[in-house]
Amino acid sequence: MSGRLGAVTAGVWARVRAAVAPCLRVWRRIPRAGRACFVIAFVNVAIWSVVVPPFMVPDEISHFGYAQYFAETGKPPPQGPVYPYSRQESAALQALEFGAVYGSQLNRGIFTSVEQADLRTILAANNYPLGPGGATTATNQPPLYYALEAVPYWLSPSNDLLTRLVFMRLLSALMAAGTVLAVFLFLRELVPHTPWAWTVGALMVAFQPMFDFIGAGVNGDNLLYLASAVTIYVIARAYRRGLTTARSAGIGAALAVGMLAKLTFLALVPGAGLALALLAWRARPSGSTRALRMLAIGVAAAAAPVALYLLLNVTVWDRGSALAGGLSSVTSAAGSGATTVTWHEIFDYTWQLYLPAHLPLLGGLMNHFYFPGIYPLWQIWLDGSIGHFGWLNYTFPLWVYHAFQRLVYVLAALGAIGLWRARAAIRPLLGLFACYAVMALGLLVIIGYTGARDLATSQYLFPQARYLFPLLAFYALAIVLATKALPRRWAPVLGGLLVVLAMAHSLFAETLTISRYYG
Amino acid sequence: MGAMRVRIALGLAVVATAIGLVIDMSGAAPRLAGDDHVSWPARDPGVAVVAGGGVLCMHATVLPDDAARVVMPIHDALDQSKRLPRIAIDFTDDRGRRVATGVLARGAAEGPAVSLPLRYPHGPSALGSLCLHVGGHRTLVIDGETGAGTTTVNGVAQAGSPAILYYRPGRESWWQLLGTLDFRFGLGKSAIFGDWTLPVIVLAALALWFGVLRFLVRELRG
Repeated sequence: MSGRLGAVTAGVWARVRAAVAPCLRVWRRIPRAGRACFVIAFVNVAIWSVVVPPFMVPDEISHFGYAQYFAETGKPPPQGPVYPYSRQESAALQALEFGAVYGSQLNRGIFTSVEQADLRTILAANNYPLGPGGATTATNQPPLYYALEAVPYWLSPSNDLLTRLVFMRLLSALMAAGTVLAVFLFLRELVPHTPWAWTVGALMVAFQPMFDFIGAGVNGDNLLYLASAVTIYVIARAYRRGLTTARSAGIGAALAVGMLAKLTFLALVPGAGLALALLAWRARPSGSTRALRMLAIGVAAAAAPVALYLLLNVTVWDRGSALAGGLSSVTSAAGSGATTVTWHEIFDYTWQLYLPAHLPLLGGLMNHFYFPGIYPLWQIWLDGSIGHFGWLNYTFPLWVYHAFQRLVYVLAALGAIGLWRARAAIRPLLGLFACYAVMALGLLVIIGYTGARDLATSQYLFPQARYLFPLLAFYALAIVLATKALPRRWAPVLGGLLVVLAMAHSLFAETLTISRYYG
Repeated sequence: MGAMRVRIALGLAVVATAIGLVIDMSGAAPRLAGDDHVSWPARDPGVAVVAGGGVLCMHATVLPDDAARVVMPIHDALDQSKRLPRIAIDFTDDRGRRVATGVLARGAAEGPAVSLPLRYPHGPSALGSLCLHVGGHRTLVIDGETGAGTTTVNGVAQAGSPAILYYRPGRESWWQLLGTLDFRFGLGKSAIFGDWTLPVIVLAALALWFGVLRFLVRELRG
C-alpha cells in the first residue's frame, strides 16, 4: 500500500517538475539582477499588503466581490440591478466599520478586543460566500484578473474571508513584481550597455509608493500594469532584435492578456497595433509573405482570446450581448448617458487634464473650463503619484509635495540633458518611440474621455494618478535618462541616490498608512 | 573607487532617512483611542437634542480602555456664543457596571470638538452605553450622522448618533505608542495575524533595506 502511494507521489512529483521545468528555464535565463528586482518588489508589496487594512485599497470591495463571485460560480457576475456582494463580504464590511473608515481621515476600524471578538462572531455567523452579483464599478470589466484571483481564493487554507483576502493580495503583489521585472527587461533592451540602469529603473518602480499601495490590494489594475509593462517590453525586444514568429505571438499574447484584464488597456492597442505593423514592415527583407504571416500570428494571438471572451458573454455567461461585459462602456457614443457631453467638451476636458487651460496661442479654443483653482498636471498627476492614499483620504504634509515638485523640475532638466546626450542612440529607435507615443496618447485620451463623461453624469472628479501607471516603464526610462545627464562616473551614484529616495518615500508612506489606520 | 563613491552616497542617504524617521516618530501629539464609528467630522447637524436636566445615551457602543477623553460636537440650540453647562459623563457596560465616569465643568466653549474628560485609568474596553447628563436649563444639539447607531434622550430614540472620537491621555510620540500599535496592527485582519505581525513586518522591512543596499552597491559599482 505504502509502495503504491510512494509510486503515485513520485508520479505526481515528476509531473509537477515537468510542468515547472520550462518556467524554471525561463526564470534562469533572466539576469540575476532582474530576478533580484522581482524578489525585492514582491517582498516590498507583500509588506504593504499586510500594512493596508482589508478593503482600504480603492475599489477593493468591488474587485474582491467580482473575484469571489467568479471563484464560487466560475463565471463573471450577471451585474443586474441587484445587491453586488455576498453575505460574507457585507458582514465583513459592516464588522470592520468600512463605511465610517473609508471616507474619513479620523475614523478608525477595530481598536479593541471587544470589537475584534464581535468581528469573529459576525464572520462565523455569515459565512455564505455567494452573492447575487449585482453591478459595481468592477463588474463591467473582463474576467481574467478575477479568474486568476480565484486560484489563491481556493488555495487559502481557511474559508475565512479575511484569510482569503491575504492570499489574493499576495497574487496582486506577484503581479506587481512581474511588472517590475518587465520594466527591468524593457530597460535592458533600450540601454543594453548600461546594466546598472536596468536595476535603477526597475527599483524606482518597485518603490513607487502609489504603485505599492495599489499592488497591496485586490484590484484589477495590477494585471493591467503587468500586461502594459510586458507589452511595452516585448515590443521593444522585437524592435531591437527583429520580429520572429515567437515574438509576434508574444506581443499578441500580451495584448490579449491586457484586453482581458481591464478595458483601459484598449487605449494602448492602437499604438501596439501600429508597432506590430511597423515590425512586420521592417521584416519584409526576409520575405513579404513571412512578414505578413508573422503579423497575422500576432493579430490572431491578440484577437482569438478576446473573441472567445465575447462569445462566452453571449453563450455560457448569458450577459446579454457580446459587448455587455463592458466593452460597450467605452465604445458607446459620447452623450449616451443621462447627460449629453459634446465632443468639444471632451476635448476641453482632456486638454485641461494635462495642459494649461490658458495659453496665449490657444485664443478661443477652450469653451469650457474645468478644474477651477487647480492645475491637474500637479494636483492630480504629480501629487497623486507622490501619494493620495486610501480611498483618496490621506496624504503627506503639504511641504512634501512642494519638495517633490522642485525635484521634478531638476529631474526634468537632467532628463532633457540626458536625452540630448543619448540622441545618437535614440535615433534608430524613433519608430519605436513613435509607437509608444501613440500608446501613451491613447491612454491620456481615454482617461480624458471617461473623465468628461463621468463628470457630466456624476459631478465626480474621476482622474487618479494610478490611471497613468500602465506607462510606468516610461517613468523608469525617464529616470534612467536623468541619470545619464551626469558624467559616467557619477551617473550610477545619482541612480543609487534616487533609488534610496524612492525607498524612503515608500517607507514614509507606510508609516503614514500605519498612523492613519492604527494610530 | 566607483564602488566607494556609491557606498558613501548610499550611506549618507540611509543616514538621512534614519534621521528623518527618528524625527518623525519622536513627534508628540494627542493620539486616538478610537471612535464610535460615526463619520467624523459630523455629517448631519442636530441628530440629537437634549434639554438641560436631560440624559443623552449612546447605546451598544464600545469604550476603549485607553480613552481618557471624549470629543464630540456640542452646540447651544439658540445662542452659540454662550458657554456650555456642566456635563457629567458615564459609561455603563452591558452587565450594568459603571466602567468610567467624568465631568466637564460649566463654562466650556461649545463647538465642533468639545472635549469631555474621563477619569483615567478606568475599566477595560467594554460594550455598553455612554451617557451625558446635561446640567443647566439650556437646550443642546449634538451633530453626528442620521440613521447611525442607537441614541436616546431621556429614553426617546433620536434621529441619529453623535460623532465621537476617543483620545488617549496627554500627548505621545510614536515610540511611546509602539506597544498599542503592535496590538492594533493584529486587529481587523485575518486570524493568522496577531501581536507578532508588526515586529515581523518591521524586521522584514529592515532586511529588505539591508538587502537592497547590498544589491545596489554590487550593481552600481560601475
